[in-house]
Amino acid sequence: MVEKMTATYRFDRLEQTLSQLNREDCLIMAGGTDIMVLHKSGRGVPLKLPKPLIFIDHLSELKQVFQNHKDIHIGACCTYSELLEHPLIPVSLKNAIKTIAAPAIRNRGTLGGNICNASPAGDTLPLLYVYNAKLLLRSVTGDRIVEISDFIQGPRRVQRYQNEILAEIILPSVLEEGAYVVFEKVGNRNADAIAKVGFAGYIRINEARIEDVRFAFGAVGPTMVRSIDIERKLVGKTIPLADADIVQVVAGFDKIIRPIDDQRSTATYRKTVALNLLRYFLSMKQYQAN
Amino acid sequence: MIKFTLNGKTEETNAPATTRLLDLLRDDFELIGTKEGCGEGECGACSVFVNNLLQNSCLIPIGSIAGAEIQTIEGILETKKFKILDESYSDAGGVQCGYCIPGMIMASAALLSKNPHPSKAEIREGISGNLCRCTGYNMIVDAINQAAKKGDGIW
Repeated sequence: MVEKMTATYRFDRLEQTLSQLNREDCLIMAGGTDIMVLHKSGRGVPLKLPKPLIFIDHLSELKQVFQNHKDIHIGACCTYSELLEHPLIPVSLKNAIKTIAAPAIRNRGTLGGNICNASPAGDTLPLLYVYNAKLLLRSVTGDRIVEISDFIQGPRRVQRYQNEILAEIILPSVLEEGAYVVFEKVGNRNADAIAKVGFAGYIRINEARIEDVRFAFGAVGPTMVRSIDIERKLVGKTIPLADADIVQVVAGFDKIIRPIDDQRSTATYRKTVALNLLRYFLSMKQYQAN
Repeated sequence: MIKFTLNGKTEETNAPATTRLLDLLRDDFELIGTKEGCGEGECGACSVFVNNLLQNSCLIPIGSIAGAEIQTIEGILETKKFKILDESYSDAGGVQCGYCIPGMIMASAALLSKNPHPSKAEIREGISGNLCRCTGYNMIVDAINQAAKKGDGIW
């Protein structure tokens, strides 16, 4: 029996790539660090993929980083290493990237790939949720912008049409003064681990009063867990927070965080650690903008 | 047909674009210094340089290396940098079974090229994507530290 080979495309320009996607449903590969593992077929055997494959990691149109007013636009095919070296990327995002994978994978993995892979444990996702990241999707018919929380719909499920490519990740008002942002990842090993729990916290203070606060949890549900309702209750409170407020916020998330047991961790462990990370973040005496 | 540069020579292949670079190197070019460990990017045994950047060849379909410059452990054997790493690993007792070593050497060279005077913590970060099940890493960290000192000025 003759094996049918997977059709592959690698165009020089984004425009040609978009035209092909408009004609044919393809699997889009940026760095490939997830796809190559997902579709691994063993030693010496080329990957068999369910659809034709289109390479986009070389497209310079998808590798630009620029500032537009207070927003930062990040090309979806920028690798983690490229972002670590880019002067426009916020320190909080760089610190998070340093906890992701290891040098060899950071030289290949892309921010856009991490989003489109839509893993419940996607490393950058909690942070992108608290940045209120927006995604610019491009097709032959034009651009549209969606919130990251609307784009990611479930494990490996995103709201992308066949003819679209994620072109840019937009971090709105990320240069706003005074925000303190943390990212915590708990895994089995410092490098190359898939998260058991991820947590991102964002807080902006004006003279001890909370102006804005956001939390997102990763690997504790099908998508990132965030609650605008709980966040709103903290706006206007003063730092350090009263114990009663902390207890109330933690109790709120206790209700909506519903992790599962799997090969990496247990539901109980994940929930305990997630709430501990939240409690630790809320109990800080001060928040230095970063 | 995919064209690329391998250890300084222009090469081409008709292998399918979804072939892993690791398999192409080992099976078609018989460059067996690059090892397969986990096959999913966690162990670093298959580390090579793609356009001078450390990458895991098990995660690279060859369709994406068209026009790229690939360097394997065989491609750096004759360099002064390799000689220094070779001596340092040997002096520090950094090699036991040896399976992880080609990948470790590539990661060491990548680290030192970027940061010629790394701290112990930076060395550990530099080889964080490479697993060694024999040495417990301390001797490897010593080896890289020695190589940084011995090779002062060449990295």
